[in-house]
Amino acid sequence: MTVSSNDQLAPWSLSELMAVELAKRLRNDDVSIMGTASTIPQVACRLAQLTHAPDLYSIAGGTCSVNPNLGPVVASCGDYDLLRADTSLSLNDVVLLEGRADVLTVFFAGGLQIDAFGNCNLVSVGDWNHPAMRGPGTVGLPFLSRVGRILIYTQSHNTRTFVERVDFMSGPGFLRGPADWKAADLPGGGPQLVVTPLCTMGFDPETLRMRLETVHPGVEVDQVRAATGFDLVIPKLVPTTPEPTSEQLSIIRALDTNGLLKGK
Amino acid sequence: MNKVLPLSEAVERYIPNGVGLLTVGGMHLHNNPMALIREVIRQNRRIKRLLTSPCGAFNAELLIAAGLIEEIATSYVGFEHIGLAPCFRRQIESGTLKVLECDEAYITHGLYAGAGGLPFIALPKGIEFTDIPKVNKEYYSTTTDPFTGNQVNVGAPLKPDVALLHAYQADKNGNAVIAGAQFVDRYMALASKTVLLQVERIVPTEEISKHPQGTTIPGFLVHAVVETPGGCYPTSSHGAYDFDDRQIAQYMSIAKDDEGAKGYIKQFVQDMSEDQYLQTIGERLAELRYGDGVLPVALSERKG
Repeated sequence: MTVSSNDQLAPWSLSELMAVELAKRLRNDDVSIMGTASTIPQVACRLAQLTHAPDLYSIAGGTCSVNPNLGPVVASCGDYDLLRADTSLSLNDVVLLEGRADVLTVFFAGGLQIDAFGNCNLVSVGDWNHPAMRGPGTVGLPFLSRVGRILIYTQSHNTRTFVERVDFMSGPGFLRGPADWKAADLPGGGPQLVVTPLCTMGFDPETLRMRLETVHPGVEVDQVRAATGFDLVIPKLVPTTPEPTSEQLSIIRALDTNGLLKGK
Repeated sequence: MNKVLPLSEAVERYIPNGVGLLTVGGMHLHNNPMALIREVIRQNRRIKRLLTSPCGAFNAELLIAAGLIEEIATSYVGFEHIGLAPCFRRQIESGTLKVLECDEAYITHGLYAGAGGLPFIALPKGIEFTDIPKVNKEYYSTTTDPFTGNQVNVGAPLKPDVALLHAYQADKNGNAVIAGAQFVDRYMALASKTVLLQVERIVPTEEISKHPQGTTIPGFLVHAVVETPGGCYPTSSHGAYDFDDRQIAQYMSIAKDDEGAKGYIKQFVQDMSEDQYLQTIGERLAELRYGDGVLPVALSERKG
């Protein structure tokens, strides 16, 4: 967890900025689902519902409650509080619906490793048989192969997380690139966005490799390049990520009265 | 039929040492059947293979810390926002714990197949693009779809010998109410040969009969009911109390090496009965209780 380097000048936290950037990618007709440790996506969905996407559905992947009435935001996706919601599905229902590509349109993903094609790994670093580091496990990440749009978020942007190729494929992004992706003919649309404490990134439409989109206020392009373990596509002009507006911040803080995003 | 048993007797009677496949209910730091698990550790019951829900937490970690698990079938073991599970991580990295790598969908569908006596279950397209089926050929395979002639992913049925589950309340016959999220606990009950249930409280059957829609585990699947108020601690018990992030963080710092983990198990499990343990956590548990007016969602309209 990094605190914004120019904290005096920035009365918002990086987590709040990340939630705002995720919210912008949500549409009014989306049905989104999130999993483990999803405080930032929870806030992003609620923010979108309270601003440009009032009809958005948001499912908390642990309790499987639909449109939890966040307030305050909770840390765990299985929290009892999330059951104050519009409706509640069972986990079996949600897993069943994840078998199709036409119902759930957005999945929030992350990983111990995220590679140049947006593939994610939550299982192990190094050889799976003798891992240098054992991760917690993949949970629902294989659903990435079917979901409409993948929004990736991570709290750590460094060369250990952003690698050329994941050591273990546990959440498919654009696989091994354009030929592989085309041959796979997956129903999903692949990864669309990666948001980190340093920047936002998309994917080059031709090469399907990760491409820098914006750097957060106070962050240099070279800093992102150095913190990324692969050749990141960097356009000539990289705008700065807009700061959260006071309206966005006041909505977020009204939801996040425990301050889970504040100062992180 | 009265299935109520004292904790020690339920474990003694229904969990053989070296049990083949044991599954533990709850998901993340919620509804983990910790009282049953602590008793399994006190009675030193070795487990050949442990199956978690899609997200195992303190339930799996404590059994691993006690050195009782040979193999684990799971798609996640960790403490979510709090951090990684130290013994799970360490024992896999050192090669002392074998993993049967799973994903959430397989565990869910596999239990469904196990519950229904299905020989296997077809899985949707997608998992073949991950490395999971490559490292777990015991559970994942492919076959020809007889309707289209295409290759399809399939999963083996999961049929646990024993399930350890938590519910908010039950009657003496084992008809049980899971307050809050059901996770995959119902399917664990449906798929397992033997089901041991720990509950916050045992209530008269008349009370249970008032909420048939909320009573989602039928007594005929349950072999033993144990009344263990506070029995999910340090995880949450939906409808009763929240999880204790401080206790989990304390465990993580103590269990950062094997010796520390053994010490924790000795101090907080082996050297005290469940009643003694409950006394030591009593004050903290009171702080974690959900406020008045927060009633189990299965039983009433939820306010707020």
